[in-house]
This record gives sequence, C-alpha cells and structure tokens, in this order.
Amino acid sequence: MAEFPGLEVSAAVAARLPDWDDIVAYLRNRPGDTVPDVLRAADRSGVPAIQPRCGVGGHAEMLALLRELALSAPSVLSVTIDSYTRLRQFDVAARVLAEEPARLNGYPLVAHGWQRGRELADAVPVPLEVRHGSPDGRDLFATALAAGITSFEGGGIGYNLPYCKDVPLDVSLRSWQQVDAACGALADAGVLVDRELFGTLTAVLVPPSISLAVTLLEAVAAAREGVRCISISYPQGGEIHQDVAALRAVRTLAARYLDPRVEVFPVLHQFMGAFPADPAWASGLILHGALTARLGGASKVVNKTEQEARGLPDADANGKGIRLTAVGASSMFDFVELDADRVAEELHWIEEEVAELVEPVLAEEDLLAAIGAAFRTGRLDVPFSASVHARNQVIPRRDPGGAIRYADHSALPFSGATRRRHAALLAGSAPAPRPGPGEITAVIRDISYFADRTPARTP
Amino acid sequence: MTPLPTDQPRTVILGVAASDAHAVANQLICRLLRAHGFHVVNLGVCTPLHEFADALDAEPAAEAILIGSVNGHAYADLRDLPELRRQGRLDRPVVLGGNLSVGAHKRSADLDRLTALGVDHIVTGLSELLPLLDTLHAARQPAPQHG
Repeated sequence: MAEFPGLEVSAAVAARLPDWDDIVAYLRNRPGDTVPDVLRAADRSGVPAIQPRCGVGGHAEMLALLRELALSAPSVLSVTIDSYTRLRQFDVAARVLAEEPARLNGYPLVAHGWQRGRELADAVPVPLEVRHGSPDGRDLFATALAAGITSFEGGGIGYNLPYCKDVPLDVSLRSWQQVDAACGALADAGVLVDRELFGTLTAVLVPPSISLAVTLLEAVAAAREGVRCISISYPQGGEIHQDVAALRAVRTLAARYLDPRVEVFPVLHQFMGAFPADPAWASGLILHGALTARLGGASKVVNKTEQEARGLPDADANGKGIRLTAVGASSMFDFVELDADRVAEELHWIEEEVAELVEPVLAEEDLLAAIGAAFRTGRLDVPFSASVHARNQVIPRRDPGGAIRYADHSALPFSGATRRRHAALLAGSAPAPRPGPGEITAVIRDISYFADRTPARTP
Repeated sequence: MTPLPTDQPRTVILGVAASDAHAVANQLICRLLRAHGFHVVNLGVCTPLHEFADALDAEPAAEAILIGSVNGHAYADLRDLPELRRQGRLDRPVVLGGNLSVGAHKRSADLDRLTALGVDHIVTGLSELLPLLDTLHAARQPAPQHG
C-alpha cells in the first residue's frame, strides 16, 4: 500500500495507488510545462494565462471535452470534480458512473482511478488543475498526484465555509495541512505543486479584504508546511478600480506576510455571482473580467461563459468564453487607463483592512486554532456562508459606483478610520443600511447587479 | 397556558428546506426579525423537516415555524409534514416563503398542494412577513395540551 509523507490517505484509496517513490519519479520526469511554468511565463509577458472550468462524468466524454476546449488555446485546463467525490462518497460516484454518468456534475477522478487521470493529462498540450470543493481532499489529492496533476485547488477555510453546513474548521484545516505538508515533501524532492486558494468564497458580494484575509491566512499556513507555489484567487466584484487594487494587493500582501521563498500568483475568477442571462451582457461581463485581470496584473484568469445563467455550459460556449477572455486580455485594450490615484487609494485601504483582520490571528501561537477561534467569535467572517462555524453576520453592500463595502462589519476588528470610510462611502446608497425589508431588497438588488442587465425582451 | 409576558422576546424558528443551500435570504430575514426584537432560532440551510420539529420541542415558546425554499423543491422537502403533524409535532403555524416550485410562473395548483400538506401560510413578499407574525401573535390560542 502506498505511504505518503505527511498525508493520511484512506486504506481503500491508498491500496490502488503506486508507491510514493514511483509517483515522485513520474512527476519529476513528466514532459511538458507545469502550471508554475505557465504562470511564470504569464507574469513575464504581462498577459494572464486563461483557464476554463470543465468536468463531465464519463471518461471518454471528459477526454473529448478536454480535446475540444484545447482547440480554443487555453493555458491550463481543469478537471472539475463531481459533488459525490467532493464529499468522499467514492462508492456513490462509482455507482452513478456505472449507471448514468451524465448525472454527475463533474469528473469522478477517484472512481475512474489514477491511470485514467494520466490519460487525461496526456491528452492535451497544457497542464491540468484539479478543482473541486472538498473540506477534506486528501484522497483526491493523492490520486491527482498519481495521475500526474500537480495543480490542486482548495484550502481549509475556502473549501469549507462556502460548501458545508457543519464541518468544523479545525477538521478541514488539519486535513489541508496534510495536503500542504505533502507538497512540502514534494518540493524537497524537486516537484513543485501549485496550490490554488479559493478566495471566491460564497461568491456573494465578498468584500476584497475578507477574500484576501482568508487566502492570506491559508497561504501562511501552507508556506509553514513547505508549500512553495501558491495561486491566490480573488473574485471579480465588478468595480474595476477596486478589483485591480485587490489583484495588486495579492502581491503586496504576499511580500509583507509570506516567506520570500514562496512564489505567489494572483488569479482572477471572472464574476462568480448571478450572471446576466442575455448573451450580449454575459459576453460583455466576460470581456470586462479579462481586462480587469490584465490591468490588475493577474497571472491567470478563470473564465465564465455566456451560458452561465443557465447552469453548466456546453463545450462550444466554454470555448467561446476562453477566446473572448483572450481578446479582453490582449493588447487590443491597451488604450484603457485607469485613474491611478483611485486605484492607489483602494489598494491602501485594502492593505489596511487585511492587516486589521489577519495580524491578531497571525500573532497567536497556534495558527489553525486561532483561525477557528476567530470565526467563532466573528473576528473573521464570511458573508452568507452555509456554515454554522462562521457567524455570517457581515452585511456587504455596493456603493453608488458599484464597489463592495461593509454596511455592517459586525464583529470584524476594524479601526475607527476603516469603519468611518465604509459608512461614508455607503452614505449615498439608498436606503440607509439597517435591518428591514428595505435593506433585504437593497442587498438582493446589489447581488443581482449584473443579472438585472437583461433586455426587457428575452427569448 | 397563560400568555407570554410582554417583555419576553417572541420566539420563531427559521430555516431553509432540506434540499436547499441558499443562505442569503435566510440570513437577511434572520437579521430583520432580530432587529424587530424576535428571538430567532435559525437552523440555516439544508434543514430536514424533522429538525424543525426537534427545534420546536427544544423551544416550545416558539410562535411560528418559518421555512424558506427557493430551489423549487418545496413540495418534496415538506412531504413529511402530515406525518409529523399526525404524531402531534410541529403544532404551530408553518409559514412558507420563497420560490416554491420549478418554473417562472407559479400556478395556484402548486400552492394548493402545499396547503394540502398542511402549510398554514404562504408568504409571497418580504413585506408580508412581520404583519403576518403580528396577526398570528394576536390570534394565538393556548397551545394544545399534550398527554
């Protein structure tokens, strides 16, 4: 049975995997670019790498999907994992796969096995990333490594609070600590794993400083386990000065708080909230996201599609999303210049707010325990999470320009200056932010900010 | 049972139906009710009906059970309501709100079958909620005696 350094893999999964030494040897000798190679090249060129989300249940269908999307020239392709596998229900995933693979909302990598995973990785000329949503991704990570996939999304906060109702943070943080420790062992053996942290969280009006505080804490924890390559994703909010500042803050915060041996890459997730149903508005929003990524110096952008409002996109729409993103991130829009003072002002305040959120936590001896305690007391919080392990009491609103501000920061330990700024910026937003039916309507209107941009006549 | 003293906060039990993970409206409504002085037992998203019944057993002073459903599966999620009521549980007004069946246009037949399950009130707009709770409070009968 395979033994992994630092990583506890369930007996049933480990029994099917190659030995650790064989996996390391395979990964070291695998030809072609890795995700870190792609991200470094993107930083050198100033043009972000592009990656779609994609995953279907059947193996032949997944191979076909990857090959079709590769024709649109993405820089990285995804293996998006199904919900059963995310919850470690590998037997259920295998049964549904046998009976009706189209019912799976992603690729059940553990059920298919690492050998088929290698077939996916060998089928396309670009590296793959596994994207999922598991509070405990250890078995999946071991299988991905054996498959030759060295880019793996997730973290103990970002893959718990938005996805689970009742998984204690300590449980998810400790399981991701093991994934990170295995990455540290791999780095020592000369294999660099890209660990992407999911700053998108609930995708509902996430204030930049909450996204960045969460991913920064996860990044510090990962670096302490020896992770040497971290992608930090941030969700496009839709106000470009704020979004560009947030992407730049990924690099400035990393320089301030992370071991300099760690490479950090900012990633933009094109708008993850309620998408416009109208294909023209949807395409405009995709283009806007691509431009935001380029102006913010993102190393990578994860694209959306014009079918987003309807659910999972088909390959055709996804290919179109990749190509449209490439146009938006190209030099075609080089004439666009943002107000530098306005971006600098946003950047200053984002850095300030993140410091106010993370520094008390980083000062504690046991970082993972401190993170759990901060969420219990509301000194860290995520708006609108499903979890009972967060307070869920922060209320975000859009200011008149569309930027996301704190209408109620609840117990977040913000300074007087930070609080006054948010109150002042929201003073122009009607109605005044206080609990009531009017507030609910207003928050829902802010959530539907882009979804509402639909012509009166829809097909 | 004597009426509750007026300085006691009024209690309601709030949650989202079993198959539904939409947290936004749930948390905003919880906040609204608390701002109006209610003691809210918020069970959050993906709450099976029997957990509403358990919560009422633990908080017998609750005046109403407020269930949200926006994914269109309200009927399936509330299927066990008649059985629980036969067992003498959930003997408070059940108020349902949200988006109650699949499809953009709600037919009265969809609402009728929810009523037939035993849903006491269907709220179609946020502004209806507080007045409805006040009406229920004013009309409150002594809770049925058990055993």
